[in-house]
Amino acid sequence: MERILTRNVDREGAGTLAVYESSGGYQALRRAVTTMTPGAVVEEVKKSGLRGRGGAGFPCGLKWSFMPKEVDPKRPHYFLINADESEPGTFKDRLLMERDPHLVLEGSLIGAYAIRAKAVYIYIRGEFVFATGVLERAVAEAYAKGYAGANILGSGWSCDLIVHRGAGAYICGEETALMSSLEGNRGYPRLKPPFPAASGVWGCPTTINNVETVANVPFIIERGADWYLTLGKPPKNTGPKLYCLSGHVKRPGVYEAPLGLPMSELIYELGGGMLHADRPLKAVIPGGSSVPVLRADECEVDLDFDALAAKGTMLGSAGIMVMDSSTCMVAAMARIAHFYHHESCGQCTPCREGCGWLESVLNRIENGAGRQADLDLLISVSNNIIGNTICALGDAAAMPAISFVTKFRDEFQHHVEHKSCYEGTMALQGVR
Amino acid sequence: MPKVVIDGREMDVAPGTTILQAALARGNEIPHYCYHPGLSIAGNCRMCLVEVEKQPKLVIGCYTPVAEGMVVHTASAKVQTARAAMMEFFLINHPLDCPICDQAGECRLQEYAVEYGDGKSRYTEPKLALAKAVDIGPHVLLDQERCIQCSRCIRFCDEVTRTGELGFFQRGERTQIGIFPGKRLDNAYSGNVVDICPVGALTLKEFRFKTRVWYLKNTPTICAGCARGCNVVVGVGQQQTMMTTRGQQDDRVKRIVPRVNEEVNGHWICDEGRMSYRREQEAVRLTDARVGGDGVPYDDAVAAAATRLHAAASQGRLGAIVSPRLTCEDLFAWKAVLASLGGASFAVREIVRGEDDALLIRADKGANSRGAEWVLGAAGREAEIAGKVSTVLVAGDTLDPADTATLARAGVEVIFVGPFVSGAAENAAVAIPSASWSEADGTYVNFQGRVQRVRRCHLPLGEARPGWRVAADLAQAAGVRAPSWTSAEEVLADLAAAVPAFAGLDPESVGLLGVGR
Repeated sequence: MERILTRNVDREGAGTLAVYESSGGYQALRRAVTTMTPGAVVEEVKKSGLRGRGGAGFPCGLKWSFMPKEVDPKRPHYFLINADESEPGTFKDRLLMERDPHLVLEGSLIGAYAIRAKAVYIYIRGEFVFATGVLERAVAEAYAKGYAGANILGSGWSCDLIVHRGAGAYICGEETALMSSLEGNRGYPRLKPPFPAASGVWGCPTTINNVETVANVPFIIERGADWYLTLGKPPKNTGPKLYCLSGHVKRPGVYEAPLGLPMSELIYELGGGMLHADRPLKAVIPGGSSVPVLRADECEVDLDFDALAAKGTMLGSAGIMVMDSSTCMVAAMARIAHFYHHESCGQCTPCREGCGWLESVLNRIENGAGRQADLDLLISVSNNIIGNTICALGDAAAMPAISFVTKFRDEFQHHVEHKSCYEGTMALQGVR
Repeated sequence: MPKVVIDGREMDVAPGTTILQAALARGNEIPHYCYHPGLSIAGNCRMCLVEVEKQPKLVIGCYTPVAEGMVVHTASAKVQTARAAMMEFFLINHPLDCPICDQAGECRLQEYAVEYGDGKSRYTEPKLALAKAVDIGPHVLLDQERCIQCSRCIRFCDEVTRTGELGFFQRGERTQIGIFPGKRLDNAYSGNVVDICPVGALTLKEFRFKTRVWYLKNTPTICAGCARGCNVVVGVGQQQTMMTTRGQQDDRVKRIVPRVNEEVNGHWICDEGRMSYRREQEAVRLTDARVGGDGVPYDDAVAAAATRLHAAASQGRLGAIVSPRLTCEDLFAWKAVLASLGGASFAVREIVRGEDDALLIRADKGANSRGAEWVLGAAGREAEIAGKVSTVLVAGDTLDPADTATLARAGVEVIFVGPFVSGAAENAAVAIPSASWSEADGTYVNFQGRVQRVRRCHLPLGEARPGWRVAADLAQAAGVRAPSWTSAEEVLADLAAAVPAFAGLDPESVGLLGVGR
């Protein structure tokens, strides 16, 4: 299978402009800004069926079409790239930024052109120090070659590229919190509406896309939406996708395949199978830690937005976390709950108070102090969070909790009754 | 106007109105913590979640505007479940230290827990232990454990005073209100954060542990701190009245809080006004009548004063220096009585300090300066009077050290009627106690020309009587035609008949919010 998004990542000199240009880089940008109208770019992307790779899978072209068609000089448009990749189990954007930064920049610039943006802000996770350096060098190269800045490629269109480092909060990957943070304020999600296209960063019309999403755009422009539609499972799950495979597999890593890759193929072929021959698959979290878990018997599924939704979970950020039979599901859930407890921004009540409560109860069960009522309590507290918060972080903490307790209820029950883990499973520190 | 149905009742609502406002306007309270009508919308407490038909999730009433055809349920099973859930969340880390909390009795956590909570908690984990009684400013203490992070106080400092002293620190359940490094919550309006705090997280140093709020007798009145005339509620302690046989000892003002009047002060008052009762309580009160510095029965002092005033008036050598904090009733009474004694030249003391600010504070500290203008017409200046008179009546409650010393040196005889022992009272030939601001009914006219009612909040101290009563007694003692007033309302009736600016006014028409003229 042809590698598209990752075609350059393991080439000699990966990340340099020379390597990128030698693979046809920036030709799509040239085509877009010199031969297409912004509207035509939006239409092409719409036609391709490209869905956002950040987690929600919202159609990219449709999102772009929400932007005003005319620019009010007092309210310039901004294009934000969400490079805050902080969902546990997810590491695909980092690969693109570190190994093919110009692909990210080219996609960003085409998107910026499509929505008539004045500037692109790449909001990058603070911990990505290395990737930040790579991106900043690439930005300098792009300016020097006239791909960014004033009068790009002689088109008369100007656009700035700015790399902005976050300060280490998971919540700043939430699009409105990201905007607050970019503005210099506390990273708090905002009430919606208004949606970003109406009033985003600095109160101006704004579009925000994930890194991998914009990395698809140059190929759509260069090869056409019709070509793109042949990849994956058209019409609703098209294009190449990066899957982040981690956990108890022989070869964890980022794998590129068309959307709709069967999970078994990812785990047993690309990933080389389970880590230990004597420890069969127990569960998979298919979309980063915030989505409901799948039991082994639910894992005959294609990795795309709709197939996973049909199983009651989500493709999310495609962070596929594989757990074998040695995994204590209570410990695993307690660890996830710890993350959301630590990362809850504290703005609204259910998430602020509920995430810590969930973790406390889970830790208690794991440590042998669980009570029978705790199992239903976990589900009830989760249900009291879900849907009642400002942003999706509360749901992200609560949905896995419900799925773990319901799908592995026997194991939770065992902890309560026997004050210990299942035989053969390891508590948190033992996971390997 | 969009038509909406809230709990089965159809109503027309102005576009842009939120569900919460629409419901409130109809008298249907949707519980809320972070929403405050004087501040921007934060939407963080999630207490006002309501159900809107055809919407998948509950929505917050404070932020969701009504739309044509919207059908809202504010008490459906789903909503009640959510409210109970929010109450449980609010209380899991709350210390439940109501027995030692000043907010108890007027606490939204208590009220909503009773009304919307389940009455029990399923939380058995240790609660967060955070700092208590953190000194954040000259008037305000912060209890981190009681705080529910509604952000009202932050928004107040950002949006109303624009001083920005407060912010959130930390994250998640450890999120705490705090002051920025090197700052203090020290602005002219800092006490308001205590009023708007829906729980006991922010308390006022001056009110802390003074009384239980349910022992307060609350009277709606007008602040006398400056010409703004902010609408306030004065809380008077009643606790000891119940505990001791001689109750008046605790019949004192315990606090002053703002009362909403969009025309005058919105939702706020300044700290100086809030603390004004303390200045008055710290001042030495004139509680008994004096002649030549010696205590005498009230009637004797009135008779002595009447003789002196009458004599000077009949020679055309009587002056009157009145405080701009006297009520219109007192001013009118003095004007009428001194006229019947033979007439006097009036001067209104000017009390000007500082500058007008952008919010409420006025440099003119005369709460009734405009009223004095209306009642007395163009009055002279104090200095002009000094040279022309042999006797001067000094009436009013001003605490500013008066220039009565000048008058005394000029050989002018001072007759003092007022509540405090200060300059004028000490140098007076006759001193008669009168009621202070919180002890008598009356009307003030603020700088906007708005007539507002001042109320008696507690009994006058000692021999003190309302100024109009002293004036009437003087007339009686002087043997001239004495008014037959038995209440401030009757004085106002005469005033309304005599001065066109007050025509038609009575306590009912002035009402709680006053009337513009």
